Order: sequence, then C-alpha cells, then structure tokens
Amino acid sequence: MAYRSYLMVCAGTGCVANQSMKIKEKLETEIRKKGLQEEVAVVTTGCNGFCAVGPLMVVQPDGIFYQLLKETDIPYIVEEHFIKGRPVKELMFTPPKEKTPIPKLSDIPFFADQTPIVLRNRGVINPENIDDYIARGGYEAIAKVLTSMTPEQVIQEIKTSGLRGRGGGGFPTGIKWETCRNIPADKHYIICNADEGDPGAFMDRSTVESDPHAVIEGMLIGGYAIGSSEGYVYIRNEYPIALDRLQTAIQHAREYGLLGTNILDKGFDFEIKIARGAGAFVCGESTALMASIEGRPGEPRAKYVHTVEKGLWDKPTCLNNVETWANVPQIILRGAEWFSSIGTGDVSGDPWGGSKGTKVFSLSGKVNNTGLIEVPMGITLRKIIFDIGGGIKDGKKFKAVQTGGPSGGFIPESLLDLPVDYEELTKVGSMMGSGGMVVADENNCMVDMAKYFLSFTQTESCGKCVPCREGTKRMLDILEKITEGEGTEEDLVLLEELSNVVVESSLCALGGSAPNPVLTTLKYFREEYEAHVKDKKCPGHACRKLITYTIDPHVCVDKGHGCHVCAKNCPDGAILGETKQVHTIDVEKCGKCGICYDVCKFDAISVE
Amino acid sequence: MVTINIDGRTVEVPEDTTILKAADQAGVWIPTMCHSEYFEPYGVCRLCSVEVVRGKRSRIVTACNYPIRNGMTIHTNSERVKWLRKVIMEMLISRWPNVKVVKDLAERLGIEKSRFTSLERDESENACILCGMCVNMCNDVVKANVLGFAHTGIERKVVRPFDEKTDQCIVCGSCAHVCPTGHIKMVLEDYRGKKSEFTLGPKTPIYVPTLQAVPRVPVIDAESCIHFQTGGCENCAKVCEPNAINYKMEDEIVEIDVGQVLITTGFDLFDASPMAQYGYGRLDNVYSSLEFESILNSTGPTGGNIVMKNGKEPRAVGIIHCIGSRDTNHHAYCSRVCCMYALKFAHLVRDRTDAAIYQFYIDMRAFGKGYEEFYNRLLDEGVTMIRGKAAEIVEGAWNENGDPSLKIRCEDTLIGKFREIPVDMVVLCNAMEPRKDSDAIRRLFSISKSPDGFFLERHPKLDPTSTATEGVFIAGCSQGPKDIPDTVAQASSAAARILSLISKGEVEIEPVRAMVQDEYCSGCKICNNMCPYGAIEFIEEKKISHVNEALCKGCGTCVAACPSGAMTGNGFTDEQILAELEGLML
Ligand SMILES: Cc1cc2nc3c(=O)[nH]c(=O)nc-3n(C[C@H](O)[C@H](O)[C@H](O)COP(=O)(O)O)c2cc1C
Ligand code: SF4
Ligand code: SF4
Ligand code: SF4
Ligand code: SF4
Ligand code: FES
Ligand code: FES
Repeated sequence: MAYRSYLMVCAGTGCVANQSMKIKEKLETEIRKKGLQEEVAVVTTGCNGFCAVGPLMVVQPDGIFYQLLKETDIPYIVEEHFIKGRPVKELMFTPPKEKTPIPKLSDIPFFADQTPIVLRNRGVINPENIDDYIARGGYEAIAKVLTSMTPEQVIQEIKTSGLRGRGGGGFPTGIKWETCRNIPADKHYIICNADEGDPGAFMDRSTVESDPHAVIEGMLIGGYAIGSSEGYVYIRNEYPIALDRLQTAIQHAREYGLLGTNILDKGFDFEIKIARGAGAFVCGESTALMASIEGRPGEPRAKYVHTVEKGLWDKPTCLNNVETWANVPQIILRGAEWFSSIGTGDVSGDPWGGSKGTKVFSLSGKVNNTGLIEVPMGITLRKIIFDIGGGIKDGKKFKAVQTGGPSGGFIPESLLDLPVDYEELTKVGSMMGSGGMVVADENNCMVDMAKYFLSFTQTESCGKCVPCREGTKRMLDILEKITEGEGTEEDLVLLEELSNVVVESSLCALGGSAPNPVLTTLKYFREEYEAHVKDKKCPGHACRKLITYTIDPHVCVDKGHGCHVCAKNCPDGAILGETKQVHTIDVEKCGKCGICYDVCKFDAISVE
Repeated sequence: MVTINIDGRTVEVPEDTTILKAADQAGVWIPTMCHSEYFEPYGVCRLCSVEVVRGKRSRIVTACNYPIRNGMTIHTNSERVKWLRKVIMEMLISRWPNVKVVKDLAERLGIEKSRFTSLERDESENACILCGMCVNMCNDVVKANVLGFAHTGIERKVVRPFDEKTDQCIVCGSCAHVCPTGHIKMVLEDYRGKKSEFTLGPKTPIYVPTLQAVPRVPVIDAESCIHFQTGGCENCAKVCEPNAINYKMEDEIVEIDVGQVLITTGFDLFDASPMAQYGYGRLDNVYSSLEFESILNSTGPTGGNIVMKNGKEPRAVGIIHCIGSRDTNHHAYCSRVCCMYALKFAHLVRDRTDAAIYQFYIDMRAFGKGYEEFYNRLLDEGVTMIRGKAAEIVEGAWNENGDPSLKIRCEDTLIGKFREIPVDMVVLCNAMEPRKDSDAIRRLFSISKSPDGFFLERHPKLDPTSTATEGVFIAGCSQGPKDIPDTVAQASSAAARILSLISKGEVEIEPVRAMVQDEYCSGCKICNNMCPYGAIEFIEEKKISHVNEALCKGCGTCVAACPSGAMTGNGFTDEQILAELEGLML
C-alpha cells in the first residue's frame, strides 16, 4: 500500500543519542490523532550524514529536510505540513550568515556536492527491512554474478574498476582477491573489518547501520570470486545499533535464501558469522584481528607472511574494510568503467596508478557542517571543507586539516588544493586512512593537537614491541614538556629523531604511523613548536601554562563600567575589583580556564 | 640453496632460513633480545633490525624472522641500522639501567648513555624487560598456558591468570630458565604436596640414571617431564637424531611362571629427621650417609668434590655413628655396616680435602677380614675418634667472628668430658631398616619376619637362605643388615640352593599332604587363609579350593578347619581310614 508521504526519521547513533526515537513516537501519535495513519508513514533510517543538525528527518517524496527537531515541534509540523500543506520554514536548514532557509535536501550544499555510492541508501531505506534494499536494486549484483559471471570475471571486473582498500592501506582489492583465490587450500576465509576505532570516526559504523545488506552482498560476491564459503564480520561490541541491524540483516538474508547453501539455486554456499571485538584500536590491524577471532590475545604478529596466504587459522584469508565491501555490488551492477570514471589517475595498466570511486569521510572539528560525507576521489580538500563543510565555525581562520584518523598527518593551508588521492595524501605526510577528517582553526595549538592524537595511539599501543611501547611514551613525555613550557631546542631534535625511529622500526602499522601527527606538525608548523620552546608562548592560546589573561583597564571602565561579570564567573576567585571600578586578574590565582574571556561582553579581556 | 650477500660476504644458505641464521653462518653478529631457539621468532625487541636491499629498494626488517630470498643484499651495520639500534637501546637503558643483559648489549654496541629520561625507570637488576620469552615458552613450548601479558602500551606486564597462584602452572621452571634477567624465580616450597624426595639436585626429567647403568641410555621421569603433563615440549625428541624418544612407552605387567623365588628386596635407610637433635632436613650441610655417598661419587651432583651448599670446602667434618641403630627408641640392632663405611668416608675426606675429621662412635666394630687393619690405618691418618654418641647438632659460629657453621655437642666417654666440636659438615650414619612394604611381600609369599622386622630365615645357623615356604629364598639385607661381602656370600648360597633343585629337575614332596574332595567343597574359602604355607588357592572357574601339593607340608590345619569336611589328608579320607580299619580288623 502506498502512502502520500514518508517521514524518514534518522535513527543513526548520533540522532538516537539526541532523542530521535522520541521524535518518532511523537510523530506516530500525532499522525494517529489527526487520522493520517493511512496517508503518512514514519520510517526509521540509518545515519543521514548531517549529524550536526540532528535529530532530523526528510519528508519524501518531496525531499523536504527538517533539522534540530524537538518533541514540542511535532504537533505543529503535522498540523502545518501534513494537514495544511505548508512546510515549516523555521525548522529548515539555513546556511550560516544567510537568511533564507533551503527547503530541499538536494539543494543544501552539504549534500549537493556529495556522490553517494556506498551511502546511496542512507536515509532512503529502512535498514531493518530487506525488501527496502531489494526495491533499490539490492541483491541484483549477486544474481548477476551467479548467473552470468565466472569468479575470474568478477575479479577482473574489480581489478579494472580500480577499487582500492578503504580501510587504510589502499591495497588494490582485485589483486588481493586474486592472490587469495590462487593460494591452494581446503578452505578460504573472507573477513569484513568493521572494527573502526578511531576517535570521532563513524564511517563504517554508519554504513552498517544504514545499509547492512550492501555489506552482506559485497561479501557474497567476494566469497564467490575467491572461492570461500565462510565469512566473518569483525565488529565492535560497543556498536549496539550496528550489531543489531547486522544480525537482523543476516537473519533476513538467510530467510530469503541469500545466505546458506545453494544460494539462488546456483550451487554456491556462503555463511556469515559475526565476531565481536572488545574495542582495542590495534585489533583493527589484520594479524591482531585474526588472532582475536581465533580467541588469542589481539596483538599483531611479527611475520613476513601475508594473511592472504596464511591468515585466519593459517588459511588464506581476504580481509577488507566495510566500505570496500559495500562498493562491490555497485561496481558489478554499473560496471568497472563507470566506477573508474570517477576519481584520479589511470588504473588501466597499473592498479596503483590512481584513486577511483568515492571515499566516505567523517568531517569533524571546527567546520560548520560536521557529519558523514561521501565524495568523489580527486575532490580538493578546500572544496570539502569550505563547500560541503560550509567553512570554519564562527568565521575563524582555517589552520590545518588532519586526514586518516589518529595517525594521520596535519595538512596546512598552503596544501588545501590537494586532491583526495592515496598517493597525494601520503606524499605530504598524511594518509587516506579510514576516513577521519578533523579541521583545526586558528585557535587550535598544533603542538597540543599532536599531543592529543599521540596520547590516543600511545594508550592504544599493544605494548608488544619496544619502539612503539617505549618510543611513543617518550614522545608524549617530550610533548608534555613542551606544552608546559619546559621544552628545549634539543627536545625538538630528539622528538623528530624518536618519531622517525618509531616509524621505521615498529612491528605493526600502529607504531609505524602513530608519529605522523607529530612529524607533520613539526614540518608545517615548526614555528609553533619554536614559540613554545623559545618564547614560552602558545600561539593557539591552548596550552594553559603558557598563556596569560589580562584586562584592559580602559575598556573595562570606559565601555563596560566595571560590570563585574568576569569576577562573578571566575571559578578561582582570581579577579579583583568592585563594580564600576577597574578589574584586574591575579596571575597567581588564575587557573587559565578562559571563562572571563568568554563572558566579558566588552572584549576587555585579552589572552597572550 | 640461494646465494646472498651479508655485509660484503657472500654466503650460500637454504631458502627461507632467517637472516639471523644466515648471518650466524657468515660469522656476522646481530644483536637480539627476544629471540630463542625454543620457539618461533617473536620479533618484538626490534634490535635485530637490518637493512635489506633488493634492486633499488631498501627496507628495514627484523633479522630474526625475515626469510632469505635469492640475491638479497643485507647490511647489518649501515648507518641507518646503527642509528635505529642506538635509539632503541637508549629507550631500553633509560627504563632498565641496571639489568645486565641490557647493560651488556649496550656496551657491546658502544652506547654509554641514554638521552631519554624514563618516567617508568626501574632500577632493579632483575626487572622484567618484557621480552616475552617466558610467555612464549609457557604457551608455545610447554603448552601450560599460564603466563600472558596484561594491560597495553607502556603498562604491559607479565602475569599469571588473575595474577594469582595457579594450579595450571606445572612448576616446570621453563620460564625461569629462559628469562634473561632473572625476574622469574623458582621458589622451593611444598607445592601441591610435592616435595623433592632427595635434597641433592639437579635432576632433569630425562636423565641417564647412573653412568654405570646398563644399558646406559636416558630414561624419562613421567612425573616431572613436561610432555606428560601438558602434551607440549618434546624438545628431547626434536634434538634426538636417531629418533629414539618414545613418549608412548608404558609400564607393563609381565607374568612369568617360575618354580622358585629369591627375595632380595634390600633395605630402607632410616630417616633421621624425627631425631630433631641432629637437625637433619633443618640444618644445612647435615647429610645422610646415602647423600654423602652421592657427593663422593664422581658422577654425582658435585662431581665427587666434597663441598658445602655454598660451594666451599668444609674445614671440618663430623661423622656420627649409630643414627637409629643400637637405640631402643628406634632399632635395637646394630646395622653392621656403618662403622666401616664411616671409616671409608673419613679416608676419602682425608684424601680429597684438608678438613679435620671427627668420628663419634659408641663401639668400634671392625670384625671383618682386614677391617681392624683399616681402622688402625685411619688412626695413623689423623682422624680424631671420639667415643660417645653425639648429643646434639646446633648452628654456631666457628669462632668469635668467623663464618657460621655447625657445632656438635657430645660427651667424650674416654676422657669423661662434655665437648663442643665446631664443624662445617656432618654425615649421619643412618641405620638400615626393613623396606616399608616388606609386610606386603611377606604376605605374598607366606614367610615370617624376625623381631627386628627383617625376613625370617628357616634356621639362623643351618639354613640361613631358605624360608618356611618351600621354593622361596631370601638373601642380602632383606634378611638382615649386612655388608657387601656377606650379601654376596649369602646370595651365592641361595643361588646354589635354587640351582640344585633345577638340576635335579624334580622336587620331592612330603607324602603327607592335604587334599580337597571337590564334590564336598562349598567354596567357603575358610581354608585359604588358614594355611600357614599359603598352599591353598581358590579356583574361580570351579568355585572350589585347591591344594598346591608342592607347598603343602601336611600340617592338617585346614583339615580341622573345613566346615564341610571336604579337606582331608591325602590318603586319609574317612572312607580310606574306615576301609583300613576294616582291613585290620579282619
Ligand atoms: C592499528 C590499525 C588499526 C586499523 N583499524 C582498522 C579498522 O578499524 N577498520 C579497517 O577496515 N581497517 C583497519 N586497519 C587496516 C587493516 O589492517 C587492513 O589493512 C584493512 O582492513 C584491509 O582492508 P582494505 O584492503 O579493504 O582496506 C587498521 C590497521 C592498523 C595498523
Ligand atoms: S607497533 Fe605498537 S601496536 Fe604494533 S605491535 Fe608494536 S607495540 Fe603493538
Ligand atoms: S613453571 Fe612452566 S608451567 Fe609454570 S609458568 Fe613457568 S613455564 Fe609455565
Ligand atoms: S619475566 Fe623475564 S622472560 Fe618474561 S618477559 Fe620479563 S624479562 Fe622476559
Ligand atoms: S619432553 Fe623431553 S625435553 Fe621436554 S621435559 Fe620431557 S624429557 Fe624434558
Ligand atoms: S546520526 Fe542522524 S544524521 Fe548522523
Ligand atoms: S631478536 Fe627481538 S626482534 Fe628480532
């Protein structure tokens, strides 16, 4: 039965945390109250991407986008939009600095510049309903593969498409499949890496949450091509929604005969099992991940034999990232040519010759529009940050962008026209990684940022090998020293040397990449380190030990008439002065929290 | 075989060997800190990093696990490698400045100090350097899966499950054996009721029992062998070239039909620990005579050197006779051999050390051939003989400010004085006593014991080797304490007795014997235990008793006991007697 309108309410982790399920219930009761239940349907979807303005919903088929919803808004929307036919302007998206709201999702720049392939179903289908997926062309690719393609042809198709691993390394997927297929063994395994543990990144989780069947179908195709009948999804236990939807999807696929034995009557058997990870970052690393599935401690193995040859239980194993798998059905359906027409370089001769297709990023930090985006390879960082991201928050100045998760490097303004491409990003000291993208503005201290990310990798180091265990801790100690104003110029030299040793001699890629934030900031923002070390100043005003707040006495009395707000709010009682008189800060007592700076309406307080 | 180049030297090695092994073959040293031949390369210290050049590309790899490929060029001492090693070493020194392996390696690599200050600095000499050897040993080799790592990053540490004492540990000591820093120690304690029965070590699970053993091959002690507890290890099989190790071999019970038995089960040594005054088992360097024999043995634990626990030679040795013998609290009898072996001990101590020797005796019993002469010779060798049983051994200083040692307190009955003699080592001459299980043996063969507990011979003067049971003979210390010449004599005599029967081919038995009348026997078994000669056995299939004619002495005990009148003297059934009577009366 068809409805007049579908209300696609986001049930992604972000919106759920912002009470979107309450919104949904309220919508349902209001609609019933008004007797509209035969005309208007409420559907929950996976993450819509524009998490910054959640909880949100999209009214289909007209594509009206409502944002920042509150329960109290619901009766009004239902009344106005669905009874009177007047979409509610106040709840639409208005770009910063502009007056007119943009009613349609497709006109909002955040969405307009994206190219959804992996996320093509987000916000459009109910991820818990397999029929929704099938209605959008789902499971057509596996049908095509099983009825008309040999495994070799499938592998060739993936090779020609130029698809490369989205989990970090960017290894050509077709070649990985081919190598794995060609290792003789009584059993081959395939694994989907959904361990995603980078702070602030949620590309893979959202993909599983909004379109779990795409991942399952990708794995089915991979299993057929590689000659494997058993796949694992290694997923974090602390992603309950993703885990739940995946389980439901596997269950439905099984009921529809799309998993199990003799799939689609073509004699192909395939099963998917779920392995839950306990949430150690290092368990995303291939050997650690497999050790963890086998029930051993999740630590990387020191071996120069690839897991495609000897992986899970020493059998040839093909490990790919969630996003890599989710790309596969679309490549099969729409063809390798279509896929390779998107992106950079030329992969016809050399599989490493370019970056093809799209990449999902989770855009966060100091941009206006934070959220999950999918962009074509080759798009410039500038376009991502300033068009899709809507520029820097509060009109501040851009300083740097970090790509690739906690071990990615920081890229300065001068390189903003760099295209998103595996090799280009690596060349400047960063990486594609799994798709984290953190934007820093003029108020961020680069030393402090480097310290923050290093402290993450340092605690996540498994501690097995000496350079990563000892080295990252020593680096962190030095950074600590520098941000406290105790650093010396020798420390900078030592820090750089240590970073290089950790990169070169660590056992696994965690240690091998953990120093990237430090190395790139040392390279592009050395003057900030020098300011900390030589002048004992923090240009980003972030390192508390190195900054002082002062009150301009003239502004304070002339403009503010000694309003006393600062003194009232200071948690340390460090501000002296009576109302209508000049206020001063007692440097000894001041805890450098910056509250006074924020509360002074007359800008009488400055920080140095 | 492939050809590679290491530091300018060309070597041929099998493909897939590790760089470390190839370098070893080429005589090139590469530092390592987490590598051991026992388990697969672990690859965590990263000190073995080397530079591998193939074509134009050069990369850093770890030598301990990187497999050799044809045409490789390896630099183990390039500037890049030296730099990496130096910085890694600096990290290690800054955290563990006093651990010997770390210090030694740093010295060998010419690194004097670290530029880092480690907040986790550990000054201990036996700190754990997280090399993982113990963990690999316990899990991969021993397969006991006790040790593991807890926590991540800089907090990493080696732990047992839940960091508690665990029964999963089989106390094999492998972890302590590989630990390069001595962080793991094996503590001697009564663990799960296991106590070493012989205080002198070392004893490995696989060992050649003695150098004189025949055949001289190793045996495995299944109780302490790792393999028999966890299924792991098998190191001995890995190194045994002729492939002679067989873990499947089992004890078997063999049944042999014999006509005669010679019991030579020997004696047990009296355990002196209940005699608290002598401190055996409590005081260091107080040994039983058997332990001292093993110290004297050139294949023993000390290689025949008479040394104390601290490895030093004793300055004086006291030898105390009659421990448990001639003592109504323990054994009233004289053990007969102690005087002479005590003299032998004294002679060997005199021969091998400069120690002063004191013998504490009650009476000197040198009755055998040449014995008295030996005693006189020892007196000439300067052994001090003190007549009087030692009263007590206590710990005490040698002199006012000297080393700790022992003191023997005794009454010297020849001069009628109480004396205290300082010594470093004491040898107790323990009594010989019947084997603990001798009663079980006795019952098995239906033989008796004398009041001292040793097996009883048929006649002390006229028949000292046979017993009350026909065909069962005894010899050696199972019959009573005796020395080697006496044992040999008695055993030869027993052997002759046995042979005389064998050569005859048949035995004469008493005409008067008991006999079961099968049709009357109810199978009550009363007679079975009655027979003092163990001559009655029960035949399960027929459920009746049967008399072994060769053993029966015709004493008639069973005849009187049989409630159903089935047992009679052979030729003396009621019918026969009545028939005889009838015949007589005719
Ligand atoms: C410390 C560390 C963490 C990683 N975490 C992830 C992860 O969360 N998800 C992921 O897909 N790959 C992760 N990887 C990369 C995987 O090891 C592996 O390269 C990837 O799953 C291969 O899939 P792809 O070829 O599709 O990229 C991680 C690697 C390292 C070294
Ligand atoms: S590099 Fe770090 S995470 Fe990787 S094995 Fe070494 S200690 Fe563990
Ligand atoms: S003694 Fe043996 S079983 Fe016990 S922890 Fe050490 S290696 Fe493991
Ligand atoms: S206890 Fe010894 S063997 Fe075990 S990790 Fe520590 S240093 Fe290595
Ligand atoms: S298997 Fe062999 S090497 Fe291992 S403990 Fe037993 S006897 Fe020793
Ligand atoms: S969770 Fe709702 S938009 Fe991301
Ligand atoms: S010996 Fe430790 S990494 Fe090779």
